[in-house]
Amino acid sequence: MAAPLPEAAFVAAGPPPPLPSLVSSRKLRTQRLGRTLRLWIPAGLLLALLALCFVWPLVYHIPSSTNGNIINADAPPLSPGAWLGTDQNGVDEFSQLVYGGQVSFEVFIAVTAIGMVLGSCIGIIAGYFGGWVDAVLSRVLDILIAFPALVLALAIAEGLGPSEFHVILAISVFSIPAFGRVTRGATLVLRELPFMVAARLAGARRWRIILRHIVPNILPGILTFSLLGIGIVIILEGALDFLGYGVPPPTATIGAMIANGQQTMTVTPEYVLIPSIFLLLVVVSVNMLGDALRERWGVQ
Amino acid sequence: MALVQQIQLQGDSGARGSARRLAGSPALRLVGRRLLAAIPVLIGVTFLTFSVMNALPNDTAQAILGLQASPAAVAALNHTLGLDQPFFTQYWHWLSHVLQGNLGTSVQGASVNHELAVHLPVTLELLAYALLVPLLFSIIVAVLAARKPNGLMDRFSLAVSMLGLSIAPYAFAFILIVVFAVKLQWFPVISGSVGTTPVSFLKATTLPAAAIGFPLFAIYTRLLRGDLVEQMQREDYIVTAKAKGVPPWRVLIRHALRNSLFTLITVVGLNLGGLIGAVAIIETVFTVPGIGQDLLTGISNRDVPLIEAIVLVFAIMTVLGNLLADLAYAVLDPRIRYGRSTS
Amino acid sequence: MSQSLLEVEDLRVGFAVGGRELRAVDGITFSVNPGNTLAIIGESGSGKTVSCRAIMGLLPAGTSINGSARLRGSELIGLSDSELRRYRGSDMAMVFQDPARSLNPTMKIGVQITEAITTHRKVGKAEAQTQAVELLRLVRIPAAERRFHEYPHQLSGGMRQRVMIAMALACRPKLLIADEATTALDVTTQVQIMELLLELQSELEMALILISHDLGLAASYADEVIVMYAGKIVEQAPAAALFGRGGSVRMRYTRALLDAIPHMERAAHSALPVVGGRPPDMTALPVGCSFAPRCGSAADDCLAKAPALTEHAPGHKWACWHPCENGVHP
Repeated sequence: MAAPLPEAAFVAAGPPPPLPSLVSSRKLRTQRLGRTLRLWIPAGLLLALLALCFVWPLVYHIPSSTNGNIINADAPPLSPGAWLGTDQNGVDEFSQLVYGGQVSFEVFIAVTAIGMVLGSCIGIIAGYFGGWVDAVLSRVLDILIAFPALVLALAIAEGLGPSEFHVILAISVFSIPAFGRVTRGATLVLRELPFMVAARLAGARRWRIILRHIVPNILPGILTFSLLGIGIVIILEGALDFLGYGVPPPTATIGAMIANGQQTMTVTPEYVLIPSIFLLLVVVSVNMLGDALRERWGVQ
Repeated sequence: MALVQQIQLQGDSGARGSARRLAGSPALRLVGRRLLAAIPVLIGVTFLTFSVMNALPNDTAQAILGLQASPAAVAALNHTLGLDQPFFTQYWHWLSHVLQGNLGTSVQGASVNHELAVHLPVTLELLAYALLVPLLFSIIVAVLAARKPNGLMDRFSLAVSMLGLSIAPYAFAFILIVVFAVKLQWFPVISGSVGTTPVSFLKATTLPAAAIGFPLFAIYTRLLRGDLVEQMQREDYIVTAKAKGVPPWRVLIRHALRNSLFTLITVVGLNLGGLIGAVAIIETVFTVPGIGQDLLTGISNRDVPLIEAIVLVFAIMTVLGNLLADLAYAVLDPRIRYGRSTS
Repeated sequence: MSQSLLEVEDLRVGFAVGGRELRAVDGITFSVNPGNTLAIIGESGSGKTVSCRAIMGLLPAGTSINGSARLRGSELIGLSDSELRRYRGSDMAMVFQDPARSLNPTMKIGVQITEAITTHRKVGKAEAQTQAVELLRLVRIPAAERRFHEYPHQLSGGMRQRVMIAMALACRPKLLIADEATTALDVTTQVQIMELLLELQSELEMALILISHDLGLAASYADEVIVMYAGKIVEQAPAAALFGRGGSVRMRYTRALLDAIPHMERAAHSALPVVGGRPPDMTALPVGCSFAPRCGSAADDCLAKAPALTEHAPGHKWACWHPCENGVHP
């Protein structure tokens, strides 16, 4: 007599646990070391560059970044008194780099802050409330994203005169919808998670839910996204300066340095290379930092 | 994606499954809906552009005639150009003309239609080159990298991708010029035109396409490599394929790659709209006679019709790009195309 | 012995995790004969899946696999992946737990089956298709020609699992391993699939290994049963020696598993006896019997020294210092 077909035994059925990662202990330590390095090297580089641009001029005196003596024009790098040389007008390259870097950092911090705050508000509201609120807000975001920020920036610069503030304004038009879309998507996903439904059922007030549940969970994603976006913003700001529609001369900017260097590129490529490399270092460190944080926090 | 679920819900009414399958109608309806939704976006964008251009101090006529021109002459030109009419009227005029296919007259006097007809193909060819070649390279590199994660090829691809993401296109353009045009003299420094033969086309457009395409290559490679590696490590159907005895290359390409291509196409589509800035700059640097360069000159001339037309073109490209991204899921993913049949 | 299809001897599988070694499988020995069904029962983490994947060569590179596994006399352990690939899918095949995730969602199921065929045999596309349709009929899928062109999401769970079985049988393997093949299915479908497997087994004279946590499954369908805990075999016997009339379960762990199955004869609303505690941390196994922390009858000698798997009765092995008497708690 065969045993009657029983119910499943006591062990919970479920997917088997994933096989543990199989690396030797030495390799594991190397992996961990690599992960730590990948976080702290770009972070350190970024901090160093920030310090260079904002702290260094306060501590040491560096030549002016806007006025130069024609007599000293075209000094090559490593000349006495001018570490990186001077440009055609005798303006010190290193100083231009430092102050131009200040502009870049200021712009990206401002744009990111505006985008993060305004964009996330729009995105969270759109994602959480849904319905026609979402429909309208999504349309607005779509329009803003399709709108060429470059055109806007150029137009504003043309019409109202170029300035750092206008640059920030123009690029924010681009960063707000970017944050908006990301936070909206994340909110949509979060909203349906069981713990969120539970909170709603428990009668928690909407704003409380948003603040206490949604925001902390989205925060890592927003931060890593903002880091990745910073690279784009910096490059965009440089582009505006490069075209002449960004921060106006005589203020030094990285983009303007590249534009100026373009003229004598074949003979003295360093005037293009130096600001380009600086820009590259900033963006690489920001991107790598973003990657490392994403790895750490396990965010998509 | 919410979109996927939307369509799946529609396809779920069983009995009409086969008819639905034949007509492919969820996909068609999706396309229709998206196109309809695109119209307010297009109107919004052009309207916004118009408002911006008009909100700024507008002395186009002045700029054309020069500072010495008499106020009367300026007023007359303003009237001719229709710039003294109320803002909404101007927009309405422009819109109705566009719907009839007439994009207006540039302040330089030429017909915008004509300008676009000459310059748009140039930009489109450049874009095609700049999108497709990096795509091809990135597929090859990503597959090689994913074959041995953390191996030599993989680390190399990650490093190159990081570089591509971080470098400014205009800076990269100059480096390309210095290295390839000046030192190696493989390509001309400035293009001037795209040439008529394939060889001259390649010579003229390779450097600008590389400047635009290198960041794209970086994005695609990172994405594809990540997706491939994740599939190979996490997905059960990969284990099944290996259990069947399928060799590793075939598993990677036949099973993992085909699923990753969806995501890749989506990204290509979504990125399309963002290219306008890069195109404008690169065309200027390399003096490629496309609409990007036109845009920049248009802005400095306050050439509203020209600007509007080009903005419209790019907005359409953005919309089409998004549509392509959605379609990649709707049409190519068999889960959606075939819905659920009665079983 | 020489007619055994699969002979596994002292198989050990280890991973290095967090600087320590995790012995997922710690020296197991068993054999399977053609036409017979072996059930390997255990909790998650007991090593049942890992041991079979080690034999198939489906573990990631870098795992240390020692011991011996001979398929019809040919040694499998130590072969390179390309050598092992010749056996995988053709002489030995595996069916997995979750058919929804184990089939590629963007490939037609027919193509996934023909792939199993063409990987090992040189046949043309048309011939492979014919064979695949035949296989679909073999696993009792109606309208096989139509189903050939369908995608996995168009099939129900039970049918998907039949497709998995068809894929596994494509080259008429001599050994089929079913890794929790029915766990993800509803009870009725479970029965259907198990019946199908048994029919196919006798038709094709295959050896069948059933991996499961469900002792009831073993009771119903297996010829021989192995119970694994913490990487070792703790009880090994023909099914008749364990279940049903005259059967006696000796190992406490097995006893506990058996007791946890709800019966119709139980008093209503009585609590199910469950095994307290959780599966052991494989990187920090206790000295002595691995089950001792959770065993109600653990004594000092249990904690001091691990019992070895010994044949105490004909054909019936167990590893326990204080086994159950006559299948009942003392």
